[in-house]
Amino acid sequence: MTAFRLQHTISSGIVFLVAAIITYISFTQEPADAFLFPRMIAIFFISLAAWNFVRALTGVAKVGVGLDIVEFKNIVPGLAVMLIFMFFAAKVIGFFLSSTIAFMIIFTLYDPAPLNDGKAWMKRLIVTVCFMAVMYCLFALLLKVQTPSGILF
Amino acid sequence: MEFLSYFGGVFEPTAFLLLLGGTIGGLILGATPGLSPTMAVALLIPFTFHLSPTQGLILLGAAYTSTVAGGAVSAILLKIPGAPANIATALDGNAMAKNGEGARALHLSFLSSGIGGVIGVLLLIFLTPILAQWALAFGPSHLFWMAILGVTVIGSLDSKSFVKGLLSGCIGLWLSMIGFDDNLGAQRFIFSDALTGGINIIAALIGLFAIPQVLDMFAKGRSNSVIEAIEVPKQKFMDSLKEISRSGRSLSIGTVFGSIIGLIPGVGGQIAGLVAYDQAKKFSPEKEKFGTGHPEGLIAAESANNAMVGPSLVPLLTLSIPGSPTAAVLLGGLIIHGIFPGSDLFDNHPEVAWTFINSMLIGQILMVIFGIYTATWAARIARAPVPIMAAAVMVLALFGAYSVQQSMGDVYVMLSLGVGMFFLEKFGFSAAPLVLGLILGPIAESNFTTGSLIANAQNGPVEYFMTGTLNIFLIVLVLASVFYSFWSNMMHGKAAKSEGATS
Amino acid sequence: MNKLFKSLAIGATTVALGMSMSAGATFAADFPDRPIGVAVSYGAGGATDFQARIVTMVAGNEDVLGQPIYILNKPGAGGRVGWNWFATEAEADGYTMSAYNIPHFIAQSIKGGVSYSADSFEPIANWGADPAVVVVGKDSQFSTINEMVDYAKENPGKVTLSGAGLFVGHHIAALQIEKATGAKFAYIPTKGGGAAAMKAVIAGDVLGGINNLSDAFRAQQAGNVKILGVADVERNAEFLPDVPTLKEAGYDVDNASVNFRGLMVKKGTPQAVIDKLAAKVPEMFAHKRVAKRMKAGGSPMKIMSRAEVQAMWAKRQETLKELLAGL
Repeated sequence: MTAFRLQHTISSGIVFLVAAIITYISFTQEPADAFLFPRMIAIFFISLAAWNFVRALTGVAKVGVGLDIVEFKNIVPGLAVMLIFMFFAAKVIGFFLSSTIAFMIIFTLYDPAPLNDGKAWMKRLIVTVCFMAVMYCLFALLLKVQTPSGILF
Repeated sequence: MEFLSYFGGVFEPTAFLLLLGGTIGGLILGATPGLSPTMAVALLIPFTFHLSPTQGLILLGAAYTSTVAGGAVSAILLKIPGAPANIATALDGNAMAKNGEGARALHLSFLSSGIGGVIGVLLLIFLTPILAQWALAFGPSHLFWMAILGVTVIGSLDSKSFVKGLLSGCIGLWLSMIGFDDNLGAQRFIFSDALTGGINIIAALIGLFAIPQVLDMFAKGRSNSVIEAIEVPKQKFMDSLKEISRSGRSLSIGTVFGSIIGLIPGVGGQIAGLVAYDQAKKFSPEKEKFGTGHPEGLIAAESANNAMVGPSLVPLLTLSIPGSPTAAVLLGGLIIHGIFPGSDLFDNHPEVAWTFINSMLIGQILMVIFGIYTATWAARIARAPVPIMAAAVMVLALFGAYSVQQSMGDVYVMLSLGVGMFFLEKFGFSAAPLVLGLILGPIAESNFTTGSLIANAQNGPVEYFMTGTLNIFLIVLVLASVFYSFWSNMMHGKAAKSEGATS
Repeated sequence: MNKLFKSLAIGATTVALGMSMSAGATFAADFPDRPIGVAVSYGAGGATDFQARIVTMVAGNEDVLGQPIYILNKPGAGGRVGWNWFATEAEADGYTMSAYNIPHFIAQSIKGGVSYSADSFEPIANWGADPAVVVVGKDSQFSTINEMVDYAKENPGKVTLSGAGLFVGHHIAALQIEKATGAKFAYIPTKGGGAAAMKAVIAGDVLGGINNLSDAFRAQQAGNVKILGVADVERNAEFLPDVPTLKEAGYDVDNASVNFRGLMVKKGTPQAVIDKLAAKVPEMFAHKRVAKRMKAGGSPMKIMSRAEVQAMWAKRQETLKELLAGL
């Protein structure tokens, strides 16, 4: 079994598992009339998921590129920034400030320019400030969106 | 021809300025992620308090038309569909922008929007009385079959694998059932507090399309994130015009499907673009090019979602029934001024009704002019360096998702769906059928529930759902669509096998 | 020494109290120093939404609140989504208010499955009262409410009545009619609020419907429906002087289903803020520009102070408990 086929088997297995959980919930929850439609969908869902799983197991289905370990490693830091923003920063230090920081970090993380290059830092700072200024004008001033302010901004 | 005599009203200085402002403002608001046409029009309602009814409606009408078209801008350049109407636009439009054809994609998108839009408004002008009856003919059973018909295109929509397309659709249908059940008020599948309100469609759209894209940009890493230097040819307006004039097939498919679907209350413009895209693909000799930056799909989708604007107002203007969420907001805007749509509107305030309709006609043209004018400039956005693009799309997605209902819950939902979609896409699942399931789920379910309740009071569900000309016609369409999908899937499989290719 | 100490202590307490009171007072005096949001539990364009937009339009005037009010739509499940959000996630600082619909949220909380009850909220003031009316399509076989009830008695469960959802005013009215007449109706909750329920009536999907007086009045003006009866204690002289109440038609239906709309804040909001809002908001509702727009829109107004609303909530709570007990 190639790594690629293993990946497909695992992903189809997860989808099948999700389908199984949904089917279980749909058929055990009450009131029955509110769950009639979920039950109908669940039957379709689990049959398709089972078929898909069997296909992956037997190596028939090979659509999609699969996950590349190098790519995955590249994603992790960016994803971490997003998650920190989501669960922590936005509510604690404020939506605008934390998205500014997130923007800056992501820009820096994935910018090919070296970290000791003063000019590159200048550019990062200017782009970040300009972009966030546009965001502020659009969302806060024009659309009057009240973002969570946290302790700062 | 009554409408011609009211054209003067559109060109009065104040009215025309409002039309101009509404169009430009609408384009900007439409291009803002998270701001659907419905929200944009609702935001403008307070401004109309200070205007006369005619002026207010001109502003709202101009905003409605141009936000729908403006949504294409962020769909094409950032792959963030502004509204469900622009999902299909994102599929090929963004691929074109990535190939360095952003300006061409924007030109074609605005031109086909304009053409579809003008035809839609002309339908509104000339066929309103006939169309009004047609709109009323759709009861719960018919809407249920319409939704099922929509579900049948799921398998063939932007997916390399038929089974995985259907599976993506099932995931979408299931996601649509999270939260409170709309008819009976029961709680379903609420795993977290962020889900009590259900999954907001706009937030979900942003997550499903924008986040996988951001993660793909992350995946390139910093070492090889040097921008691929594609020579960007300058897009001449005349070339775009020539191309559009040669795209009769996609334009007519888009316009026909857009106007028919736009007319049906409750289904509305949300799926017009996707259905037109799917049909254009089925009728095209170059099916395999769809999804890789093929203009045909873009033209069909954009002409459909603007063609739907005119007809979607028919039930509102004639019967005072809002056929779409945006029409509901427009109704509010009218009522505030003491004008009740219906026969009252055309009999007692013809100048309001016709000036409004005419302004939408002129608004379409203004929208094309401004859209084309800014296209070359806007298309540069898609050429921004990868790290800036990744950070910008991410922050836009966060703001967009938050601003829909000013709720952090929507941000959580957006990010979780987006990250999940990224991994699913790696294994051949796709976002478009998932979103279609998410949109059609509630339509199918609520009409099924309402229909069943009515059927129980009458002669049972079999008679209610299965008899009557319109029901049978729709069932035949559903069966034909299912059969076609299986057949083309089998043919495709055979062809692939005979070539010895593994798909 | 002891005495001195005591008086010192009292003095300190007084100063502290005074400071805290003046702090509260300054807070109330400053309030509001930024725009106030009103969460509407129904979609943009619905009756509650556009009425909320009208009654709050003068909030930014210096003599009213001095800060604009913006509307946040949180629609879903007959209002449950929005009020659940308000009860669990909104901040109790007065900067987020919610529009209430009585009897909807009280009836829903009695039926359970939601995280709010009448005790979760503090009323500020009431702006409108929209009675439920019985409507039928313009070509309907019924011309009076009695004809409809008699038909329903002969054909139990065959008369379909559309309404905006379960345990909203329309449903309460349907329950009351069933209770008062002994006839059995098929109540059909539609997704999409009163507008969708009205569409079902006009298109003939259902035999009749229960809808808001304001929406039904407009549909009647447009020649699409007939209005058979008003579920209120007296006729609506302003918009429908010729339509009898259900009581006049001989059925014991009171005003428990009348849809009262107003503003409320979350329990736990500082009393000073509540007092300030309770003083200013009724003035805002009574503004002559508001009244003009509401009248133009066919929306009946009924301005009630905080105390009146509190009494009304308590009364509704009792009536609804009784009515829903048998279900």
